[in-house]
This record gives sequence, C-alpha cells and structure tokens, in this order.
Amino acid sequence: MDIEAHERTVRSRIAEATDADALRAIEREYLEKGGVVADLLASIPTLPPTERKAAGQGANALKRAVTEALESRRAALDGAQLEAELAAPDFDPTIPARPLDAGSLHPITQAARRLEEIFSSMGYHVLDGPEVELDHYNFEALNIPKDHPARDMQDTFFVSASGDRSDTSGALVMRTHTSPVQVRAMERLEPPFRAIAPGRVFRQETTDATHEHTFHQMEGLVVGDGISVAHLIGTMKTFLREVFERDLDVRLRPGYFPFVEPGFELDARCPFCESGCRVCKQSRWIELCPCGLVHPNVLRAGGIDPERYSGFAFGLGLSRLVMLRYGLDDIRHLMGADVRFLEQF
Amino acid sequence: MLISYRWLARHVDLEGLDAHRVAELLTLHTAEVEGVEPFAPALSEVVVGHVLERVQHPDADKLGVCRVDVGAHAGGTEPLQIVCGAPNVAAGQKVAVARIGSVLPGDFKIKKSKIRGVESVGMICSVRELGLGDDHDGIWVLDADAPVAAPVGTPVAAALEVDDWVIEIDNKSLTHRPDLWGHRGIAREIAALTGRALRPLDTALPTPSGAATVQVDVQHPGCSRYVAVAIDGVRATESPRWLRMLLLAVGQRPIDLLVDTSNFVMLDIGQPNHLFDRRALGGRPIVVRGARAGETMATLDGVERALTTDDMLICAGDEPVALAGVMGGAGSKVAEGTTELLLEVACFDPSVVRRTAARVGLRTDSSTRFEKHLDPLLPLTAAGHVVQVLRSIQPDVTVAGPVVEGGTWTDPTRTIDVRPQRVRHLLGTPVDDERIASIFESLDLAVERRTPDTWRVTVPARRATKDLTIEEDLVEEVGRVLGYDTIVSTPMLAPVAPAPRDRRRELVRLLADRLSGTGRFHEALTYSFVDESLVSALGLGALPYAIAVNPVAEGMARIRRSVAPSLIGKLETNLAQRSEVRLFEIGKGTRPEQLDERGQPHEVHRLALVLARANASGSPSPSATLGELQTLLTDALGRTGAGAVDFVAAPVVTPDDHAWAHPRRRMAIQVGGSSVGLVGALDPRAAARLCDGADVAVAEVCLDALLELGLTPPSYRPIPRFPGVKVDVALATPGDRPAREVMDLIEKAGKGLVASTELFDVYRGEGLGDGRKSLAWHVVLQAADRTLTEKDQNTFLDRLERMATQAGAELRRQ
Repeated sequence: MDIEAHERTVRSRIAEATDADALRAIEREYLEKGGVVADLLASIPTLPPTERKAAGQGANALKRAVTEALESRRAALDGAQLEAELAAPDFDPTIPARPLDAGSLHPITQAARRLEEIFSSMGYHVLDGPEVELDHYNFEALNIPKDHPARDMQDTFFVSASGDRSDTSGALVMRTHTSPVQVRAMERLEPPFRAIAPGRVFRQETTDATHEHTFHQMEGLVVGDGISVAHLIGTMKTFLREVFERDLDVRLRPGYFPFVEPGFELDARCPFCESGCRVCKQSRWIELCPCGLVHPNVLRAGGIDPERYSGFAFGLGLSRLVMLRYGLDDIRHLMGADVRFLEQF
Repeated sequence: MLISYRWLARHVDLEGLDAHRVAELLTLHTAEVEGVEPFAPALSEVVVGHVLERVQHPDADKLGVCRVDVGAHAGGTEPLQIVCGAPNVAAGQKVAVARIGSVLPGDFKIKKSKIRGVESVGMICSVRELGLGDDHDGIWVLDADAPVAAPVGTPVAAALEVDDWVIEIDNKSLTHRPDLWGHRGIAREIAALTGRALRPLDTALPTPSGAATVQVDVQHPGCSRYVAVAIDGVRATESPRWLRMLLLAVGQRPIDLLVDTSNFVMLDIGQPNHLFDRRALGGRPIVVRGARAGETMATLDGVERALTTDDMLICAGDEPVALAGVMGGAGSKVAEGTTELLLEVACFDPSVVRRTAARVGLRTDSSTRFEKHLDPLLPLTAAGHVVQVLRSIQPDVTVAGPVVEGGTWTDPTRTIDVRPQRVRHLLGTPVDDERIASIFESLDLAVERRTPDTWRVTVPARRATKDLTIEEDLVEEVGRVLGYDTIVSTPMLAPVAPAPRDRRRELVRLLADRLSGTGRFHEALTYSFVDESLVSALGLGALPYAIAVNPVAEGMARIRRSVAPSLIGKLETNLAQRSEVRLFEIGKGTRPEQLDERGQPHEVHRLALVLARANASGSPSPSATLGELQTLLTDALGRTGAGAVDFVAAPVVTPDDHAWAHPRRRMAIQVGGSSVGLVGALDPRAAARLCDGADVAVAEVCLDALLELGLTPPSYRPIPRFPGVKVDVALATPGDRPAREVMDLIEKAGKGLVASTELFDVYRGEGLGDGRKSLAWHVVLQAADRTLTEKDQNTFLDRLERMATQAGAELRRQ
C-alpha cells in the first residue's frame, strides 16, 4: 500500500471514530511501537537507496498527518461531549435552596443604631440612664413638682427598693420617659454639648395592640450659645431627611410639656402618602415628637445658667418609629421575644 | 373637652371662619384638636312637618294615622301619610319628619312600610330617635316652647337654628391653661388670633332685693375664696331649647333649668359652681373644713365615700353637703318645688382637689378645672353670670340678699419683665418690637416699655395663676401667635468635633453582631418585670428585689435583677414552634441591696443567652447545648480582644443569682483570667417545669466586668513558614481526671512544639477498665524554624507515653 492509500484509509477511519477509545486504538496501530509508521521506517533499509529518501519523507508525512487528524478529531469529540454535557436536561432550577437558620438583631436595636449613627455623625454623645429612676430626675428636676397635673399625663409605676407593697414614699419610679437623662447629662457634660439617650420607658397601663407598659424612646438634648427654635426646626429636618431619605416638611404646633418652654408637637408630612392614608388618619401630617426649648428651671436643675446658655430637647418614640417603618399592627410583638417575629428582621 | 361652634359664636363673630378653620387656628396656635364632627347629623336629615290631621288607625287602638305636610318631596307635594304610635301627636303640631331614605342614628334607614295594613311613608321622630337624649315617651313637638318660623320641608337643624359643629380639644394640651376650660376662653383665643373683638358679657350681679343672710365660715386653707349668693324665685322647669341644644352639643344631658344653668356657666367661662337648696340648709352656716378621720359622706352619685383628713368638705353646720371641688353630697339635691337657692362659687386649692379626686377616683368636670389653678377673681363673675342667665329665662329671679364671702385670696395679676431681644434670640426669628407689642396687646397683656430693651408686661389674673410666670412663657406667647411656621429652619453653629468614643456601645455592638451573625442567635427584648412563678421555678425567689408598688398585673411586681431568667421564661412558647431556640438579650438588672446615697438602686448591664433544643425522642447527650454555647461564647467574647476565653468550675453559692444553673454543670466564664459571668446547663428541675425537659444551656455575662478589661484589636501572629505535623493521640485516664490535666500533659510532652490541641472524642466503655475514659485529641506540632520530621513526631509520642504512664494514664497506640 502506498503512503497516500494509507493516509486515505486512516483519515476516513479517524473521521468515523466516535469515541476516545477508537482514536486511541488508531493511534496505537499507526504511531506506536510496531505500528504502521514504525514498520514503514523499519522497511527503509530494505529499499533501493534511491527510494529511501522519499520513503522516509513519506513515512514522516504519514506520521504527521495521523497525529494532526487524531488531534483535531479528539478536539471535535471533546467539544461535542462538552456541548452534550452543557445541554444535559438533568438540572432543575426550581429545586429550592435550603434556608439558613440565621440569627437577627431586634428591630428596636436596628432603629436605635441608625439614629445613633445619624446623631453621632453630627457630634452627639450617646447617653444612658437608669430604668429605676429617682423621682427627682423623672419629675422634680423636669419642672413637674408633686401634685402637678402633668403627673397625670404619665401613668407611673412607683417602685419600692425594699420590696414593700405598702411603700408610698414615691421616691423611686420606673422612668416614664427618657427625659430624666436631660438633667443627668447637664450634670455630667460641660456646655456646649449635644446628646441623645435611647432606652426603655414604662407606663402603668393595660396592654393591647396599641398600648404597651414597656416601650422605647430616644431623648435628644442640645445646650449651647444662642440655641433657638430655628435651630430645633433645622435639626429635626436634617434628622428626618436622614431617616426617611428625603426632605419632609415639618411643622411645629404648641404642645404643653412642663420641662420645655415654649413646648411643641412636631409633625412631619406623612412619608407614606400624597393625599391621606391610614397612618396619618387622612391629615397628611404625622405627629412625630414632642420637643421645645429647655425650660430655665430644668437648665438650673442641671446646674446651667439659663442667661448664659439655652437649649432644645426632643423625645422620639422609637417603638412608634419602628411600628411605622415596618407597618406593625401590634406593639406587643416588640417585647414578646417570639422567634417567628424576631427572625423577620 | 368639647367645644360647640355655635356656642363660640356667642362670644366672638365667626364670620368667614368655619369650624374646620377654627380647629386649624387652635391647632397651629393654641392646643391640640382631636377632631371636628357635625353635631347630631340626624337633625339635617329630618325636616319640619306640619301635622294636618290625625285619625285613629282602623285596626290598632294605640296607633294613629297622620297626614303630614312636608312641602315638596321625592313623590310630589302631597302631604305624607304616616302611621304613628306616639300618644302626644296631634293635628296642628310642627314635628320632625324622617322621609323615605333618611338615615337616623344607629344606621337606621327609613323605608316605606305597611303597618297593620295601612301604608306609612316616613316617620315622626322622638328626641331619642334623633340621638338627642333619652326621651322616648312621645314624639318631639318642635313648637312646644316656641313657634317654628321656618316653612315645612326645612331641615330641622336649620329651622331651629341648632346646626352645629363639635370641636374636640385634647385635655392634656390645656393642662397649663386654666383660662381655656370654657367657651369664652377659646373664643378669646380666636379673637386674638384673628384680630376680632370679644363680645361683651354682662355678669353684673343685680342689686339684692332682700336681706336674706347666710353665714360662711371658711376654716380650711384650701379654700381661698368662697362666694355665696342667695337666690329666690327660681323654678326647676325644662330649659329652653337653645340651652338644651348647646349642652347636648358638648355631650351634657339637659336635666332642668337649675342644673343646666350651673353646667352652662361652668362650660361657658370655666368656673365650677354649685346650687344648694337653701331650705335644706335650714339656716345653718356654710362651713368649709377638713374631713375628720373616719368620717363618711354619700356623694350625688349615691356612693358612700370614706374620707380622710386630706379631704376638704363643704358643710351645713357640721353636716357635709359637698366634697369640695369634686362633687355635691347626695343630700344637697335641690328638692322639687324649691324656689330658694344658695349659689356657691369658690376657689379651691388645686392640690387638695387633685388629691381627693385621685383618691376617690372621681375625675369630674369640676375637679378637672380646679386642678388647673383657677383665677380667684372668677367666682364673682360666675355668680353674676348664673343669675343673669336665670333671669334671662325666668325674669322674676332675684338676688335675695347681699353677697357673702369667705376665705383669703390675693389678686394674682402680675408683671413680667421681658426683653424683646431675648424673644428674637430664643425664637431664632427677626420679629420686630412693634409686632411683639401688638401680639402682647392682642392677648390683653399690657406692655410698659420701661426701657427700649426691657419691657414690663402685666399679666391678667386669668393667666397669672400658673400659666404665665416667667419671660420664657411670654416668648412662647409671641411664637405661637406669630405662628411657628414663620420661623426659618437654621443650621446650628458648633465646633466641628466628633462625639467621644463610647466603648460600652462598641462592646454591645460587637457582641450583638457576632451573636446574631456567626452565633445565629435572635436578639430579644423582654420586660424588666419578672413573673413571680418564673422566679420561684428558677429558685430565685429569696433574693432581694425592687418591686413596682402598682404592678400592671399581680405577679408582675418584681423588677429583674438579671436578664437570663426573662429569656428562660420565653423558651416554652418558642419551643412549641421549633425544635431549637437561640435567644440573646442585652439589658439591665436592678440590685436594691446596693443603694447609692440618694437611694437609687445599683443597675447592672448584662448579656444573657439561651440555647435550647426540645427533648426529642432519642435525645442527644444531655449537655450537648452547653458545649455549643461555650463554643459560641468563646468566639464572641474572644472578639473583644480582652484575653483568652476560658471556663472554670463554679461552685454553688448562697444566695445565688445563678440558681437557674445545674448545681454541677456550671462554669465561670473567664476572659483573660477575670471572671465575667456564668454558663451552665439549666437546672433539670427548672427545665422540667418550664420547658418540658428541653436541653437548655444558659449564660449571663456581666458587661461592666467585660468593659473593664478593655477592647483590644487582635494581635498579629506571623503565619508559620514551615508546615506542621498532625498527630492524633488517645489517652486513657481514670474517669474523674479533668480533661484540662490531660491537655497540659500533651503540651508538656510537646516541649513548645504543640501549636494546637482539639478534643474530638470522649469514650467510656469496654476495654478501658472500670470507670476509665479515653480522651482523643487532634494535636498539631509545629516549629517556627524548621520542617518537623517523623523523628520529631516519634520523640513527642515516646515522651507523651512516658509522662502518661507516670501520671496514671496510658497512651493508646492504634
């Protein structure tokens, strides 16, 4: 058989091969020890000298041709196999991923952190105050003397440190608001200063979907030179922009709280609607927080001269913000420690 | 407090201001408005009808068939045929007719009907059917007390001029404003805000027509003024319609002229007052005195009340006839047919009234007003007002004798110095002097410009008792009348400085992040009050607790000392939902045994964790959760960089805040050698009672102790350049040999080459001998300066074998 005939035969066999084993067999038959190419080369010395050169070149050409043909056929077969694998229908994209039993941070914590970040970035201290509070800080120092009708606004838990139910001294209470931290802050910090104080507060009332005897507030207090109502408005606008991530109109209305003068209720344009909704009770305003200029008696109680410094204070309902933010319909979830609730946040 | 728009209009011209605008003005400048509602909307649904004829129903004794002219209606202009069962309906009357399609209170829709075979097209209404009162004895005859001028078919509200709006004001927002507890006060605000004049009100007392004398003896300092006026010629008839309608609009039930007038005057000018039957007083003097211990009296509501010496009484002679400022006595009711009255108008001390009202649980319209510190000038005005109102209705009412007064009072009218510059400064707005002065004057605050910088403002008595006392109060007056919306938001100027670093918050954040992340714990918040049954189930009942004297529920009085018990209490409900529960809480505990010099109990800051797995069949080894919790604590606490986390045996102490822990399976948590808390398995008795015997591990960490150790960033160790060798070794030891000692043995045998040891199996059983156990460890040997060889490994094993034998243990070669 001449070289060309060999080449034709092997090329067609390679082209017909359908798997790697068949190609390997051809490779062995032609290229390896005792194979066709080796035989051809071995037969050269038996040829007449004039034919030897051509025979050598022919054998080598055949070797090259077989090698190349094998390579290219192998590549084609591999490609086909990869294509087939890629196209295999054995993958089901709808198999559900296994859920991760992850942990969570309480929504109150998340909200408090966000507010702390906003106010810390503006140079506010973050303060803490005791939950079992002296009447002095919860009421007296806040310009709410004994028998003041404003004490009725706050259904107070009275506390006995000795565990005596008949203790009516009233010297200790569960703090009814975070405002006691105001005077504590004034005692600790030199003006000018800015501070917030998040924490739990307590009211002696029956719980239902909208009432809870334990909830969270965040007090804010700024004392400095020439602090005015205009600064209060500016601060609240800045803060609301950070919380709701857009500019919200605010309005101040008169509000009475003995520890501020003048005192306000701050309303913000309802962030949830354009024309009235359930949250704003169709009024387009939501009542956001009581605030005002710190009453001179309170500044004095904190050892600050009201002629030298003025200040403003505000009290944010942290629980209320969280309820608004997530659309909670029952405040009792917040203190309920039910994992079915907690894992949602 | 409810305010009637029509009532307000008696005091100020409301032309151009509808009820919603009035409400808006009040909201923005004065007080919080809770709502604006139409008064008795049914009155606009029903129309004036003229009863042309009433004939007997052919088939029912008690029913009449009426022909009623209501003018034009949906069916034409013919009079309507209406079947009516009221005994008082008669031809010629003007009545209130609900036509087909009208809707009455209770969503009662009028439909065409047949009553005993006779067609009835509409209904003639009673007072009760219109939501105006309880009277249902007959239909409401509109022209019973005065002719009705409006033509038939006119809505009743317009025909009788009783259409009205009711504005509800939040009482709390009036706490500081005794002057706003009546319609005239609110009207005065509207007048000031809109630049209108308040209509004059004649409250002059007529000259006495007789010489009836009453003695008044005020013995109690809580009564600063007592005004008594004897009145004759009064009859307790039904009040005229205008009066009844105004009272109904603000939610008061009309009774008779005497009661209604007394209420009207209180709601009109804010001064409570009381009418006594003069004959019942029997000539005895009026004595205002403190109640005696053990004394009792029956109040108007029929309740017998035990009094204390804190209470103040109005007495006839020695007999109590009223609980001062709160409620009249049962015996003080004006008897039928009485024409001789004694009018009391007084000024009582806010604290005395407040305490009594709170103690007996009677918050009345009267006590609510006295609490606000009423103007002592008001009683005489109110007395005149009562008499004038009575005389406008019954012209022959007379004042029977000279006004008698008791008590000692001073005019509270005061002056306050105000600096216009400070007004601008505190409001942060450039309001000019003239505007400030005009605002003061609109509020009846007289201004005397003593110097350009300091003005003296005179505050009238009605606002001087408590409300306006300092300069800042006047700043508020300017701000609110000006309108806070005129103040331009201004950024604060302050030195640019970051807030100081807050290590406690950093620590809390770090722990919470790690535990909720890697630890897969859910952060919970629970009450600061702990349930009595939980406390006793955990054996914590004997410890000292601060308590709420007035708890929200029995058994919820104790204020928690630490946080872990509250979380343990939340396990049962959660384990009912899932087989594994991981909760943590960062919170406070109160320690009443440590009071500071001011009596404030010490507060501790705690991190509590629970890891619980329901007790399934084929339950895991009993302390599986404990080991897991140790792992998680080691991770989280290790992140603080405060030192290596370790656990050491913690003996039971008494009393024990950790009584929830298993008496033996409990360990002190150490960080860098300092104890920062306790971790343990939940006591099996508590687990059985509280969570169905679940496998529970609990830890409580003292954040204050942790904080003292400081937060340190992790220290860097170079990554080893030479590979280590892993060797697994198992050592058999006596059963009570602590693992720690075995670990120490391994480390010693390694002579500094032991990079880590990890216990991976504890085996007790066959082949070891009685009571022995085998501890199996992964050990990594590593050197900083060379690659270890098999020779190093064999040297280590030989040495370990020798040392183990010496220590009564045995290296088990595989």
